[in-house]
Amino acid sequence: MKLRTLIAGNLALLLLAGLSVQAADEATRFYARAGSKLRLEGTSNIHDWQVESSLIGGYLEVGPGFPVEPGQAAAPGKVQAQAEPFVMVRSLKSLEKDGKPYSDRMDEVMYEHLKAQDDQKARITFHLADLTLKEPAKSKDAPYVFEAKGDLVVGGVTNQLTMPVNILPLGDKKLKVTGATSVKMTDFKIDPPAPKIALGMIKTGDDVKVSFEWMVGQRAAPAAAK
Amino acid sequence: MAGLNEPRTHRRIDMNENENKIADFNRRDFLKGGSAATLLTMLGGVELFAQTNAAPAEAKAAGPKLRIAVIGLGTWGREIVNTLARLPKAEVAAICDTYPASVRRSATAAPGAAQTEDYKTILDNKDIKAVVIATPTHQHKDLVLAALKAGKHVYCEAPLANSIDDARAIAATAKAAKQVNFQAGLQFRADPQRHFLVPFIRSGAMGQSLMARAQFHKKQSWRQVSPKPEREKELNWRLSKETSAGLVGEIGIHAIDQATWFLNAQPVAVTGFGSLALWKDGRDVFDTVQALVEFPGGVFMNYNASLANSFDGEYEMLYGSDAAVMMRESKAWLFKEVDSPLLGWEVYARKETFYQETGIALVANASKSVPANPQASAEAAITSTPLAYALTTFLKNSADLGAAVEDALAVIGPDDPEQLAAQIAKVPRLPAPGYLEGFQATVLAIKANEAIQAHQRIELKKEWSELS
Repeated sequence: MKLRTLIAGNLALLLLAGLSVQAADEATRFYARAGSKLRLEGTSNIHDWQVESSLIGGYLEVGPGFPVEPGQAAAPGKVQAQAEPFVMVRSLKSLEKDGKPYSDRMDEVMYEHLKAQDDQKARITFHLADLTLKEPAKSKDAPYVFEAKGDLVVGGVTNQLTMPVNILPLGDKKLKVTGATSVKMTDFKIDPPAPKIALGMIKTGDDVKVSFEWMVGQRAAPAAAK
Repeated sequence: MAGLNEPRTHRRIDMNENENKIADFNRRDFLKGGSAATLLTMLGGVELFAQTNAAPAEAKAAGPKLRIAVIGLGTWGREIVNTLARLPKAEVAAICDTYPASVRRSATAAPGAAQTEDYKTILDNKDIKAVVIATPTHQHKDLVLAALKAGKHVYCEAPLANSIDDARAIAATAKAAKQVNFQAGLQFRADPQRHFLVPFIRSGAMGQSLMARAQFHKKQSWRQVSPKPEREKELNWRLSKETSAGLVGEIGIHAIDQATWFLNAQPVAVTGFGSLALWKDGRDVFDTVQALVEFPGGVFMNYNASLANSFDGEYEMLYGSDAAVMMRESKAWLFKEVDSPLLGWEVYARKETFYQETGIALVANASKSVPANPQASAEAAITSTPLAYALTTFLKNSADLGAAVEDALAVIGPDDPEQLAAQIAKVPRLPAPGYLEGFQATVLAIKANEAIQAHQRIELKKEWSELS
């Protein structure tokens, strides 16, 4: 091999190595965006109920090699990731099945049981501890299937949770994180609400289905000052 | 049966007679197999009313109150202060009028409120989240624009303004101010009793729409006196053409707007007549007016108002080929034609007699096992008015929007207005008259007044009530 080519090749390798070393140290942070949804579904002796919030705050920070582009190659196994999504309790609103607002009274009972009546800043938070890639995406339009382990904090009470989570890179530095799980109110020391109404008493079921769709994206660097 | 079990809150003694008749007649009817039409005719008028969540006063004061101020403390402004003071979700933080005596008078209902003659102190106060503008109509624009600019939620009394240009300025500014809530003072539109009627009417239960009618009859002068001539002129802004759209602008706007809402159509023309029949005291605003509002499809509404006669007070009617609906205060009754189809539920509904017609009470979500009417009380009398419902809706929509904006700013940050707007657009709102409804109703009232003053027919151009 000619010397010039050798040097050029080695330089290129060094540059690449330099770049990947830089990338290896860099985590990427994705911030909450509009378009998210947290949905809680439950039962009672009168009717099923549903509650939603359209704002999930917080961030997701991932290490290098994490699939952030559609169809990016990724090997199954534990990944470097940190996340602290949260929902403001006051943003949770009860809905009819068709999505129209359901009842202020039910909302107030809910806020009371979530200890948010007097605390306007009360949150439901999830602290991600572990994220493991189970299945890489089967195509550019398909999500990566993960298993997430972490702590869910509701009304100041913490419970560990493991749930399947799908992450779909949308391109343009955006990700859609979806998942679902079931929890029991009593696990969070919440007595299922039993408010009195004209007809007697509503007895809420202990089991609550939780599903979410969390939209996150990288923020543009602030414009340089003139 | 709902009629028998309801509490005896009604003043009219014929209600008790009707209830006994219901019990007797249903047994006889069942035994004889008599027709439903006969049943209804015998039983008297049937009342229509919305079985809503209990009156606002009954809700516990859970959660934070919205700090709100009232600017403009005339008769209606004081009524607003009285009502807000009794609503669990409101804290009257400040009251304001340029006339100190009005401020002192209002302070009785809201002793904890800051008292001021300068509205700017209210707009500068970051803790006050919402304002009600209840000043004379011609003063609305500057105050509303300033309040919206200061980031306050605004409830602006109807009519929004006395000129179409001013009304458009208010509506356009409110439309652009996405992070605050704007509600027009068309209180019928926030009244759950009337909300219940909309789907009922649109379901075709009344048959084909024929015509509408409304009246406001109350013998009163409207003139207020003051030892100071300047103050007297201020107080009597309603009596001057320059500052008032008269009876149709100040009163008729509600009934006429309600008809556009129920008929789901904007009128195409309005004809008016009026005269100063009784109160010839130097005013140049008519004390008796008539307006004929033309809707598409050959449906007409007849509106008349008088300050010179009180017979039969205030009510609105809608006529269809199968039934007519009457609305009085917060109640409604259905009068069925003899040949109209049986709906079924009216057999058990409460009824009342008007003149010689039987009116069926229209009750939303009525069931035999649910009490037919909340217990009347002094509190309910104040907190179950259309104004109370309208203000409750305003408080809730404002609080929810304010919380959502705060949360969205904290989560998404202020640097992405598109995302913020997308997030805010999702906030569910209770139905209420916004800037568009307020604007269109105001334009209609202004044109109706013009027609009345000139004894003319005015064709209503679409572009007058359009917002770009």
